[in-house]
Amino acid sequence: MKQIIACVKLVPAAAEVALDGQFRLKRDSTSLQLNIADLSAVEAALGLKEADTQVTVLSMGPAKGEALLQELFALGVDRVVLLSDRALAGADSLATARALAAGVRCLGEFSCILCGRRALDAETGQIPGQLAAALDIPAVTNGQQLEKADNGLSCRRLLETAVETLTVELPCVVSLCEYSYTLRLPSILGRRRAKDKQVEILTAADIGLVAEQCGLQGSKTKVVHVDTKAPGLRKCSYCNPEALCGIIKGVQ
Amino acid sequence: MVSQKALQHAEKCRFCWMCRHLCPVQHQTGKELNTPRAKGLLLSMLSKGTAEFDKDMAKAMYECMLCDACVNDCCTGYQPPLFIREARTEAVVNDLAPAAVMQCIENIENSGNIYGAEKPSFGQDGTDVLVYIGEVAACKVPEMAKAYLRLLKKAGVSAKVLDCEPASGMMLADLMGYVQEVTDQAKSCADAINATGLPTVVVLDSYDAEIMKQHYAEWGCEIKAEVVTATAYVAKLLEDGKLTPKAEAKGAGACHDDDRLARSFHEFAPVRDIAKAAGYTLTEMFNKERLAKSCGTAVALSYMPGITTKVASGRWADLCRTEAKAMLTANPQAYLCLSQCVPEGMTLVDLYTALNEVV
Ligand code: SF4
Ligand code: SF4
Repeated sequence: MKQIIACVKLVPAAAEVALDGQFRLKRDSTSLQLNIADLSAVEAALGLKEADTQVTVLSMGPAKGEALLQELFALGVDRVVLLSDRALAGADSLATARALAAGVRCLGEFSCILCGRRALDAETGQIPGQLAAALDIPAVTNGQQLEKADNGLSCRRLLETAVETLTVELPCVVSLCEYSYTLRLPSILGRRRAKDKQVEILTAADIGLVAEQCGLQGSKTKVVHVDTKAPGLRKCSYCNPEALCGIIKGVQ
Repeated sequence: MVSQKALQHAEKCRFCWMCRHLCPVQHQTGKELNTPRAKGLLLSMLSKGTAEFDKDMAKAMYECMLCDACVNDCCTGYQPPLFIREARTEAVVNDLAPAAVMQCIENIENSGNIYGAEKPSFGQDGTDVLVYIGEVAACKVPEMAKAYLRLLKKAGVSAKVLDCEPASGMMLADLMGYVQEVTDQAKSCADAINATGLPTVVVLDSYDAEIMKQHYAEWGCEIKAEVVTATAYVAKLLEDGKLTPKAEAKGAGACHDDDRLARSFHEFAPVRDIAKAAGYTLTEMFNKERLAKSCGTAVALSYMPGITTKVASGRWADLCRTEAKAMLTANPQAYLCLSQCVPEGMTLVDLYTALNEVV
């Protein structure tokens, strides 16, 4: 394994978040956390790491996420790259995957890209597949456990009603389920080493994208309206079993 | 510096000062720096670049029992021990921790326990339950451990004690925060416990029980057996009639609720049931149950004996305000701290030894 890339998203940590005029999450006004499923991706990457392997974390989001990403160095992550630019804001999943793919191309040769299977905020779950398509490599979704195999990676993955194990050739993209791995804590030595490391911030131009390819402009989908579900429309009420027959007859 | 999560806790403080009167260390030292809010302010200043993390600040972060009294009472859900532990990590990372703390860490690295001593063997190889003794009872209060094992024998319970019992990670976590070195210890401990295949592990020291029950699973090293506090286990033996005490009046006593039973487990009845069975008429100190005042910890006693002994004397002062003359405890750390400064005319009672006298 040469380089393993783990893609992480910083999502709002608050229970309630605000939307702006274009129905985008207001990420600036809320504190951020690492997306839960992405913790599995980072831990799986660190678990697969060998002496000559570099683990790189790639993220896209506001620059204020830098401090949170900095903490990953103490876990043994070698390099952290944050794509951050106003031009990248408001991207749908396609524009996000395009930006991530452009970022990946700047990182050099890699063996695999690990992602969380979905993000807590938008929850589309499309990025891993779209990223693999953009890079023209295979994708395995809903992974739960990864092991090195002779000819690639052996992945146990979750299906609707079962689990299956398959082997995928490298390079590939694998998305991981929430809680499939427990992210390690930093070590004292890791904290010491982390002091000299810094998150690299790249702009859209740095990764070779123009405005039309990214952010809102580069998106194929747009949120045109968001509605809050009005409570009470189902007119629910409690009744006792004796009254139930009468109610059913009334409906008939 | 400390994590964003810890910083959020530090900055949530409303400076209402409600925690000021709760902190046992602040009570005894009278230092403003020893209020939980002051420690939060220090970290907030660091993140804003208006202060530097130096040896004095590191020392202030160690002048805390991690007793959780401030967490229990703070209306904002603010958790000072969360960032205090992280600040300790930072102190160790930057070689700013007090020399006495570093000595404790070195002892753990060299011998597996804070005392740098070999743990005694209890020669128990039973088949019903595993009893996890812990390093404080094993090295400093072995009589309490032996009394506990005698009680189990009298109740017909066949107990096993690991010969080379690994540390739970609890002490290292107090010294350097929740870091990988702690989870490594936790994993070895969980592996050793799981290897016995016994269905129940009875944990003598509630501080060990807390880390096992509330942290091991999140660190991916779950103990397969049911983890039970020693107090709850003996109280159940009493309830089930497996231990039948003779009626014997020993006078008035007050139970000390240790930090973990009080605030991590909210377990109050078992220790009182044991005390009553041992013959004590119970009275209560003003600060009891969830509000119980800490009497110090064995870790703090090791690196900061002066302040910890003062904190223990603060607990004795609580007892002196009642009609009781006996401080009753079933926790080895509490016993060790309280034994440093028993006031004249007062007695410190190990409840397992006391119960042994009547069964
Ligand atoms: S920690 Fe909580 S109780 Fe103490 S001053 Fe801050 S807000 Fe008030
Ligand atoms: S944990 Fe206990 S000793 Fe530490 S600041 Fe809070 S109240 Fe004080």
